[in-house]
Amino acid sequence: MTEQIPVEGRNGVVIRQQRSGTGEGYRTYEVHQRERVGQSTEKIKPIQLLSDDYLHNPYPLLEILRENYPCYRDWLGNCYWMSRYNDVTSVFTDDANFETRPKLWFYGMETFGRDLGAYPEVVTAFAQGMDNHVEEVATRLSRAMLAAGNADLARDFAARLPLEILAGTLGISNADREHFFSRYWQAQRGTGWRPDLQVKGRVALTELADYFTGLLAQRKKTDDANLLSVLAGLDVEGGPVTGADVAVTLLERDHETVHGATANLWYLLLTHEAEYAKARSAPRMMKLAYLEALRYCPPVLGAPRFTRHEVERFGRLLPQGALVVCSAAAANRDPRVFTNPNSFVVDRPDLCQREPRGQYRADGLASGIALGLGKPSIHPAVPEDRPRSLYALTRDTVVTASMVLVENIPDLELREGATPGLRALTIGEMHTCWQLPVRVG
Amino acid sequence: MSFYEELTRDVEPDQPTKDQPTKVSPFPLMPEGQAVDMGTAADGTPLIDPRIFDSPEFFRNPYPYYRILRDHYPVYHDKLHNCYWVTRYDDITECYFDDEGFNTIPKGSSSGVLGNTQLELSGVEHRRRRNLYGQHLVGKSLQNRIPSIERLAREMITAWDVAAAEGSPYVIDEGGRRTVELGHMFANEFPIRVVCEVLGFPREAQADFYYWYNSMMSGLGGSETHKQGVQARQHLEDYVAGIVEARREQPTYLYDGEGNKLGKDIISKLCETKLDGDYLSTEEITSNIALIVGGGGETTRGAIMNLWCLLLRHPDQYTAVLADDDNWNCAFHEMLRHSTSIGGQPRHNTFDVEMHGVHVPAGSLMNMVDFSANHDERIFAEPETFNIFRNDLYSGKLLRSGYRKDGKCSHMAFGVGPHLCPGAWISHQEAVVGSRILAGYMRNPCIREDKMPRDIDGVRPAPMGLVSVRDLWIEFDLQG
Repeated sequence: MTEQIPVEGRNGVVIRQQRSGTGEGYRTYEVHQRERVGQSTEKIKPIQLLSDDYLHNPYPLLEILRENYPCYRDWLGNCYWMSRYNDVTSVFTDDANFETRPKLWFYGMETFGRDLGAYPEVVTAFAQGMDNHVEEVATRLSRAMLAAGNADLARDFAARLPLEILAGTLGISNADREHFFSRYWQAQRGTGWRPDLQVKGRVALTELADYFTGLLAQRKKTDDANLLSVLAGLDVEGGPVTGADVAVTLLERDHETVHGATANLWYLLLTHEAEYAKARSAPRMMKLAYLEALRYCPPVLGAPRFTRHEVERFGRLLPQGALVVCSAAAANRDPRVFTNPNSFVVDRPDLCQREPRGQYRADGLASGIALGLGKPSIHPAVPEDRPRSLYALTRDTVVTASMVLVENIPDLELREGATPGLRALTIGEMHTCWQLPVRVG
Repeated sequence: MSFYEELTRDVEPDQPTKDQPTKVSPFPLMPEGQAVDMGTAADGTPLIDPRIFDSPEFFRNPYPYYRILRDHYPVYHDKLHNCYWVTRYDDITECYFDDEGFNTIPKGSSSGVLGNTQLELSGVEHRRRRNLYGQHLVGKSLQNRIPSIERLAREMITAWDVAAAEGSPYVIDEGGRRTVELGHMFANEFPIRVVCEVLGFPREAQADFYYWYNSMMSGLGGSETHKQGVQARQHLEDYVAGIVEARREQPTYLYDGEGNKLGKDIISKLCETKLDGDYLSTEEITSNIALIVGGGGETTRGAIMNLWCLLLRHPDQYTAVLADDDNWNCAFHEMLRHSTSIGGQPRHNTFDVEMHGVHVPAGSLMNMVDFSANHDERIFAEPETFNIFRNDLYSGKLLRSGYRKDGKCSHMAFGVGPHLCPGAWISHQEAVVGSRILAGYMRNPCIREDKMPRDIDGVRPAPMGLVSVRDLWIEFDLQG
């Protein structure tokens, strides 16, 4: 039984304490005893994990963590870093002990709208939208690049691909697309730690909600089979679906993997000639290239999890509410799991070639961890009444789009003198290739 | 703006390139008291970029940022450092008194270096231990120690003559005046010597203690010096453990100036102290000795340095202190309000909490910023001004419960509530007793501003900021 005892403070402050009434939640000595590590972590400074070095190339720093401090207590970022493959996958899939906080929580706007992304109708509509639009969008973007001559594959193709597909899925008119794209982009960027981006993001989220409120009113009168109509017709507990619900549903969905993985895949292909030749030879090889790109350079470097209660793991007692950072970037290059992990090898023999289902080693080999796509499906096989998982959908989308690109621009290559690289715009944002100038024939 | 333009702008300008990464802290140094413009919300509310907390600018010029936090974000959710900053006096005192709701689970950097200490305990566990140690640092025990504090101060000052004769770079005699760097020649070591004396360690051990202490302090930052800190702590522990074992067999005593026995020293008393029917373990004693050494050094060093720096930069107030001995207490407390050495204390909320409309999930790190509480204009008028005569600061006997009556409030430098600094009383005595003796020795003192660091304008003195004055060059009349 919990009871809430309101405690009024002096400064016009209301402190509301949620007490269990049993004296629980009040345990310090045990934690304190085990925290006596006496271990020195002098090989790395916490500030390095917030530095520009980390933004550009996090791998050397993560290697220090993985090989020396597998559960690193970062006092500056007030978190624990998990960096070994088995540890990261075990935390990431452990909902009993670790919770995911929604993006709205980072906005401090928990009551703004409802995330409807788990409704089967919505899952299906998202899947159909991706499948139905990818070829058309990829073809259109490829041809636009051809027409332009000098193009930037990261900006003109990878960044636009998921947004155009999403717009198609929602049935957003061409006239509204630029407006939608920039609001969506701002809303996603605002979920991080930067207050200026957060302010913009809040405005953008509100504008998206207003925009969808208008669209919903129109959609209910039609019976288009697009995502927005599905959302409009959804029977949800707590009242009809609002524009804010739509905005939140879009916000909470992974927005980084199609964009980031496409850009990273092509960055790697265009800078590894032999691997490029392998990848373009067949769709199956492009799929392997995608899987290897996701392992070698995951766009979502890490994911935050919070302990639901005190958790004893990794030789530590993690207190309730502790932030645990699961580092995919570190785990995907764990030499305990992958041979020569710092090489990009399209047909790598030790990487799982199937979707992780139920666990991360679907065919006995380890998959690259792609945190944006969620944990492996709990269904060991794809249920007949459900679409493919987000993992499979994303993979197929990127592979299909990449093959369209190969077909439309057969002699695609890096523009002479270009020296592309990967980086995150700010700490916590996706690590990807932002500028990839190409010659298209 | 089209998405293309938006993306291009986000990606290109002001972003570090591969070859030329920008610095971690992209904040310029500002004139003291002015904040960097970190942008504003649509309603004009200034924004706080959490990278500021790691920046050199913040360390030297923190108060304008704390003012923004107090005024606009009394509970600021810092997502970069995964914590909440609590900055108003009233909120902080509220949380300090509620040690069930705001507990002290260690997640910070200190525990590895200092070991298990009462800093990390809460509630009854903390209370019992704190009293065991704290009782030796207050009241009659403390009064008994004052003659030795005075003796140590005089010894250190007397040694200046020798240092001058030997050509020390920190004691320079010129034209009938002597210039002394107060840190090297007094404040850095004095508190450690007092701690050794109070704990009853042999004088030969003082140099080792000074080294261990310095290593532990620099190791608190958790970087490459951390290992040295942990090792120093181990050496300290080994040394103290030997002493503890010896005193379990053979207690040792403290004596007054005339050689009369005053009673057993702290360690000998702790050796015979029982908790829950068992004697304290050697580990328990050594950890808390490490805490006393760590806690009793830098804070008091900073207090002496800041006190002298502030007084000599406000000559009228220094004159008032010389005229009336009681004013030393006012000066000490006002100095701690104005430029305390300890920034604040971390707490973790045991329960879900909502403060100022911010929902804080249980188990979050909430940093209580004493620096900011001491400069809260809701409590202290013109908080940036050093004024020993201010009528809103309580300068009486230190109280665990704090003081808030008739428009006077106690400062937050020692905290309040269950975790009020147990060394507050002895620190007060060290700073005041030491300073009185210094004042008696240094005639017509003034700061050699030509040897002191300058602010960014190259003219004004560098602000004191979050760290105490490191070097303080004082010139005074050389006595014949």
